[in-house]
Amino acid sequence: MKTPTLPLLEIEALAMHFGGIQALREVSLSVLKGEIYSIIGPNGAGKTTLFNCISGIYRAQRGVIRFDGETLTGMPPHRIARLGIARAFQNIALFTGMSVLDNLMSARTCHMRYGLLRSAIFLGRCQKEEVRNRDAVEEIIEFLDLQSVRKQPVASLSYGLQKRVELGRALAMDPRILLVDEPVSGMNLEEREDMARYILDINEEKQTTVVLIEHDMGLVMDLSDRVSVLNFGTKIAEGTPQEVSHNPDVIEAYLGEVRA
Amino acid sequence: MGVREHQGRGDMHRIETTLPQLLQEKAQHYQGRTAMREKYKGIWQEISWMDYLVNVRHLALGLAELGMQRGEHGAILGENCPEWIYADLAFQSLGCVSVGIYPTNSAEQVHYILDHSQATFVVVMDQEQADKVLEVRETLTGLKRIIVVDMKGLRHYREEVLIGFSQVQEIGQKSQALHPGRFEQYVGATHPDDVAFIVYTSGTTGHPKGAMISHRGHLHGIVYGMQPILHFTDKDTILSYLPLCHILERAVSVSMPLMFGYTINFAESIDTVTQNIYEISPTFFAAVPRILEKMHSGLFIKMGDTTPLKRCMFDFWAPVGRKVVRYRMNRERVPLPLLMAYGLAYLFVLRAVRDKLGMGRTRCLMSGGAPIAPEVLDFYRSLGVFTLEMYAMTECGCIAGPHHRLKYGSVGEPCGALELKLAADGEICVRGDAVFCGFYRDEEASRAMVVDGWLHTGDVGQLDEDGHLYIVDRKKDIIITSGGKNISPSEIENKLKCSPYIKEAIVIGDGRKFLSALIQIDYENTGNWAQKNRIPYTTYKSLAENPQVFELIKEEVSRANEGFARVESVKKYIILDKELDQDDEELTATQKVKRRVIEKRFRTEIDAMYGSG
Repeated sequence: MKTPTLPLLEIEALAMHFGGIQALREVSLSVLKGEIYSIIGPNGAGKTTLFNCISGIYRAQRGVIRFDGETLTGMPPHRIARLGIARAFQNIALFTGMSVLDNLMSARTCHMRYGLLRSAIFLGRCQKEEVRNRDAVEEIIEFLDLQSVRKQPVASLSYGLQKRVELGRALAMDPRILLVDEPVSGMNLEEREDMARYILDINEEKQTTVVLIEHDMGLVMDLSDRVSVLNFGTKIAEGTPQEVSHNPDVIEAYLGEVRA
Repeated sequence: MGVREHQGRGDMHRIETTLPQLLQEKAQHYQGRTAMREKYKGIWQEISWMDYLVNVRHLALGLAELGMQRGEHGAILGENCPEWIYADLAFQSLGCVSVGIYPTNSAEQVHYILDHSQATFVVVMDQEQADKVLEVRETLTGLKRIIVVDMKGLRHYREEVLIGFSQVQEIGQKSQALHPGRFEQYVGATHPDDVAFIVYTSGTTGHPKGAMISHRGHLHGIVYGMQPILHFTDKDTILSYLPLCHILERAVSVSMPLMFGYTINFAESIDTVTQNIYEISPTFFAAVPRILEKMHSGLFIKMGDTTPLKRCMFDFWAPVGRKVVRYRMNRERVPLPLLMAYGLAYLFVLRAVRDKLGMGRTRCLMSGGAPIAPEVLDFYRSLGVFTLEMYAMTECGCIAGPHHRLKYGSVGEPCGALELKLAADGEICVRGDAVFCGFYRDEEASRAMVVDGWLHTGDVGQLDEDGHLYIVDRKKDIIITSGGKNISPSEIENKLKCSPYIKEAIVIGDGRKFLSALIQIDYENTGNWAQKNRIPYTTYKSLAENPQVFELIKEEVSRANEGFARVESVKKYIILDKELDQDDEELTATQKVKRRVIEKRFRTEIDAMYGSG
């Protein structure tokens, strides 16, 4: 097995409340470089809120988020994205009228350095960058087996394929860490297996650290190096999948319900 | 014709060679000319004949360094790609025997072939295929290495038996630098009488059998059997999409390009084949009936969905195309008024349809592998595509094909590579250099098939006064009804399969009073029909059990019955409530139905049909 050592993403005593609802209470965790880290918990446990805090959509009231030594708290989302934090959303966030290719190309904007004027002339640097970015996008199309739908508008694709394009869009940013929110919800068995394989491959081939939110216990147990469990905004356990699944608190709060 | 015959004679000396020797010769001759194209990153990347040779050379030398020796067997498991062909020729360059395995085979079937063929090396394309071999690795004591083309997903595997394809080539490259000329020695030592490869027949009954094919037999069949019918030149282009381990695709995508120097293209992935065909527009198209039937029915379904104007145009002009076919097949002059009408039909409709099917440049469309309904062939002919059906077999290559005139329902004249006779019971027997060397490790089966030098094909046929061959059916499949009438089920089945709503049909009636059929509906097309008619369904099963679907199929069956005599018509039928599947042992890897298995599995349903009648 791989031996991840350095912490890449550190969260310290993060707290977030919406009016009277305490979504996150003093949550601390650290994701090590190169691992697949899963966050599980019942509905409303604060998992997606945590992701929103990391990617800068929400601003946490207290606590610190550090990415590779740099403090993220208070940084706007586009700068966070540029640092190498990409996110695949639970509710697909694609331009539905645009082709798969264009969606993936648009995700590369954070790597494009030319202005409006240059792109109007489309010479020199602009052209070179377009070629370079298209190359990177084609690699992702190959990686996720999207060749057959390359030029199709996203709206015409099946849900499972849209989810895969969503993952591709996040991947097109060349992230150092990938936040994946419920990648297999609403999918059939075959699509689930494919998605699990892609996530493993991303982690292995591209050496990308993955943080995963998922309800499918089988998937979490199979993929994750470490798991942490949230319940009502509090972290109640952390450890390897085996440790977590034997933790009595977790069984009571989460797994117990599932098995019953 | 004169020029072509001359070329045929010119090829004569060339069959005293081997496939690796042909590769060397072609690479010398063509150098930087394109041998293959592969779509990668959305762009068609070209591979020259020189690159082709270098890739094979490095792989072969790498294999030799890893301990592969003359006479050993090497297996290849995966989808079509250039690496498949490199591996095939690298094995043969070392004087080893190449064994292709269907990528759709289950781990169990893969195990059987690896074990039976005693392969020492196996080349697999990706993790999916590698897992199948690793699963049964323990029992395969002779297996030395598993060579993986695409290492994606396999990096954390610790099995020492795994090695990357490019790694082997690197070893070969170093070996080449140290001992230049070694590869040429290996290739020089290959002999025309060596077994070049083993083709495992998909086997509609029992375990697959490994047919051993020598360089001489294979090349003889190509030069004297296929080429006089197909007339390949180095300007041809094809798309390789049928499984390469099948003899047909192997001949068309590996051996014939080596002989005639044309270009092969590889589809980007299985899902993009139709798209890629459209982009490449191959000049030659080899297809199996299932694909031609699917394209044919797909077109009619799409025609139903298109604008009224387009539909009217098609309905108006398509009969003109069909009328011209009669003249063209007989090589007669088309009457001028009809020719002019055809010109308009081609301009308005036929050309567009042809382009959409990716046959815009196709000079020849060939059907083979299984019998096909002549109606389907006629459809392609009516579009102006020269379409022919050939009759061939793994064990002896091409047996017959139309050399000049096309006759409706005939597979053409016996080809020049073999001597042909009909046995007393009508069974087709052939003799000649193209006949295979026997089944690997199965003397008994070889002896049963080849008697006194005559290979018994197991097919019953008839020859007409002009010497054109008509295939009746597989000898063992011919139905004798309780009334004593001999009936060929496949003719009726193919007629049924012409319907867009019927994907598979199995006609039953041996020893019975009348004929009945088991029908598998086409899920996609029937599903579309159901949606249009507001019939709710959730799965294949619920669609198959719907009474309205039963009525729809009733119409289709009675339409198919029209052309047949009363004893030959299907009186009753049932719709199967599941799709036939290779994993359930109901279909072979080439998607042929296993009649016996199906008849046994649906015994109760069949008995019910006859019981109540």
